[in-house]
Amino acid sequence: MATELVQRKPTPAAPAAAGRSRLREDLIGWSFAAPFVILFGIFLAGPILASFVLSFTSFGLRDLTNPIGTTFVGLQNYIELLGDEKFRKSLLNTAYFVVVGVPLTLILGLLIANALNRGVNKFKTFFRVGYYIPVITSIVAIAVIWRFLLNPDVGLINITLERFGIAGPNWLGDPVLAMPSIIAMAVWRGLGFTMIVFLAGLQSIPTSLYEAASIDGATRWQAFRHVTVPMLRPTILFLTVITTIGYLQLFEEPFVMTGGGPLDSTLSISMYMYQEGFAFFHQGYAAAIAYVLFLLVALVALIQFRLIRSEA
Amino acid sequence: MNQHIQRDPQPRGRLGAATRIAAIMTGAAMLFAACGTNDPSGTRAPGGGASGSPAGSAPDASGAGASGGASPAGDLSGELTVWGMGNEGTLMGSLAEAFMEENPGVTVSITPIAWDQAVTRLQTAIAGGQTPDVSQMGTDMMGQFAETGALEPVPADIDPAQFFESAWNTGIVNDTAYSVPWYVETRLLYYRSDLAEAAGITEPPGTWDELMAMAVAMKEQGGADWGLSLGTKNWQEYLPFLWSNGGDVLDESGQFALNSPQAVEALTYYDSYFEEGLSPNEVPEGFDITPAFVSGTHPMFFSGPWHLGLIEEAGGAEIEGNWAIAPMPQKESATSFVGGSNLVVFNESDNKDAAWAFVNFLSQPETQVMWYEEATVLPAVQAGWDDPALADDENLAVFGAQLEDTRAQPAVSTWNELGEALNASLERLTTGDQDPQAVADEMQAAAEGIGTGQ
Repeated sequence: MATELVQRKPTPAAPAAAGRSRLREDLIGWSFAAPFVILFGIFLAGPILASFVLSFTSFGLRDLTNPIGTTFVGLQNYIELLGDEKFRKSLLNTAYFVVVGVPLTLILGLLIANALNRGVNKFKTFFRVGYYIPVITSIVAIAVIWRFLLNPDVGLINITLERFGIAGPNWLGDPVLAMPSIIAMAVWRGLGFTMIVFLAGLQSIPTSLYEAASIDGATRWQAFRHVTVPMLRPTILFLTVITTIGYLQLFEEPFVMTGGGPLDSTLSISMYMYQEGFAFFHQGYAAAIAYVLFLLVALVALIQFRLIRSEA
Repeated sequence: MNQHIQRDPQPRGRLGAATRIAAIMTGAAMLFAACGTNDPSGTRAPGGGASGSPAGSAPDASGAGASGGASPAGDLSGELTVWGMGNEGTLMGSLAEAFMEENPGVTVSITPIAWDQAVTRLQTAIAGGQTPDVSQMGTDMMGQFAETGALEPVPADIDPAQFFESAWNTGIVNDTAYSVPWYVETRLLYYRSDLAEAAGITEPPGTWDELMAMAVAMKEQGGADWGLSLGTKNWQEYLPFLWSNGGDVLDESGQFALNSPQAVEALTYYDSYFEEGLSPNEVPEGFDITPAFVSGTHPMFFSGPWHLGLIEEAGGAEIEGNWAIAPMPQKESATSFVGGSNLVVFNESDNKDAAWAFVNFLSQPETQVMWYEEATVLPAVQAGWDDPALADDENLAVFGAQLEDTRAQPAVSTWNELGEALNASLERLTTGDQDPQAVADEMQAAAEGIGTGQ
């Protein structure tokens, strides 16, 4: 009662004062957030919105001098995409890259993390840094170096194979081998990141669980299978989603190493979008491809969340 | 946002990549370009590659006399912004100075632009209304930039007859001339004369059959690994064969004729080098023919004038006298490809008189010779070839003669796409075992699907 009275006393003046101070607080809050909000609005939200509008137009070379005067074509770009064989090919290529690349990156990353966490005691930091360096190296530089490694005549890989009397293939020049070569590189590069995150996950598993398992007579494999993996489920979910999203946007590797060839065997969705948008200047069409890719990423992420959540 | 953890900040650029606005704002376009955007065609010589011939003999290069037919000299004033690409852009300052000496009222400033950014920079400039007054432009870019409506038609007082006809034609889009040729390049046969002699051949090949026979001899008796190295997916190497066989990309009525009997025959001939194992059908990305030519494994190829210098540089005395160049072998005709760069004036320019006067100045024979000596690029003006600096060079004379019979890709706005489609079909022909007729039909269908942008 007493407190209520005390609170009520200044009531008549309160609304205005509170309102004013709230407004003040809001303003202060926004001014702190302003640098981000302004940059986000200009450099991200604006273009995202603009490209969405663009995907319903036939924006091309003719509209350069008068962008506002472009023609709206409704869903035509999207309909055209459905029947576009090259787009279908790029979808399949990207799917191939993701379906093979993501599990490989995760499994190898987990194995290495596990080894570093329990088995290897010497040079731990050395290995950790070693596996992580590719992640922080420029992807273009890596792609250029790998192109040299994979060169059929003077590349390190084929020269090594030659020592053993094996005639190495033209890795990037063969339509069948080009994509696996790119996957190998991407997995090698992606390993470091999954390894670091898995390491963090592994270290957060209480050792008491392993002690309990060994008391129950579990082998090392059983402990791994029934303690480590279930405890890592949130980490696996996170990495699957992040890696898939990253891999769905495959661009630099084929861009630098193969140019999408041979015979379009490494043409990814992003590469095709780039080609349409910047080489041919079909900006409307390219915007439509961008939004299909966006939907795809959102959809795949959603499915992954559902699947892994429901299992858990 | 999470993407960033995994793969650099570029996902942003990727998602927004579809929008021109996004690209301009985020600078994503620059980022892509910095990654080494493919030159869409590769028509241009690698900058400064050719070492060229002795540059001492040009007594008349001062060029103080004849210039500027466009407007009366002297009353020109104001500022001119000029964009030059690649090597030319960095060397162009001397031309600007020479022009300013004659026209003291005009201030010319040169902006050098890298070739791999040229298209994006020009598109951005046009979209933003910030175009230069004058720009260099690759002959294969004319169709798409004329389409934007940002180019000024060439005034009537610039005489087309002074240029190589095929070079002038690269600037004609929908019957209007939008550019003036600046310099040209064409493709010839480079071959190892020592290996040819070892195989009993002393004369350069004059016909298609002789070219084939020579390629076989090079491989069988000359000791080379290959005969003639042709591009597996390069329309610039295929089109000369199509033209020489009496075919063309577009027929007289402007319809595609890529599966004409002449085209099928040309494709069959082209493919036979791959079928017979005379031309490698697997070429590693970034393969350089020059060292392979010097070492003798790849004894013949078609290329432009820049390879004169590259071979000298790579082979030096070791290869001197052991190689030669020859014009395109004859079928119906002996037509080669013409490329190079043109000069355009933008219609947003507020100093068009001075702009055209500058273009006209660059087209004077004396300026052209001076530019050859500076940048080692071939004059587009026929009179420039009479100068001893060019006329006395044996190898250049072969290029000069070939330029009389050259053609270029049609100047349509969709050429980028058409070229890509041709390359894709060529790749299927040369690396697979597709039937030339089927590939020709595929080319035709693809081209009809793309259209000419009309």
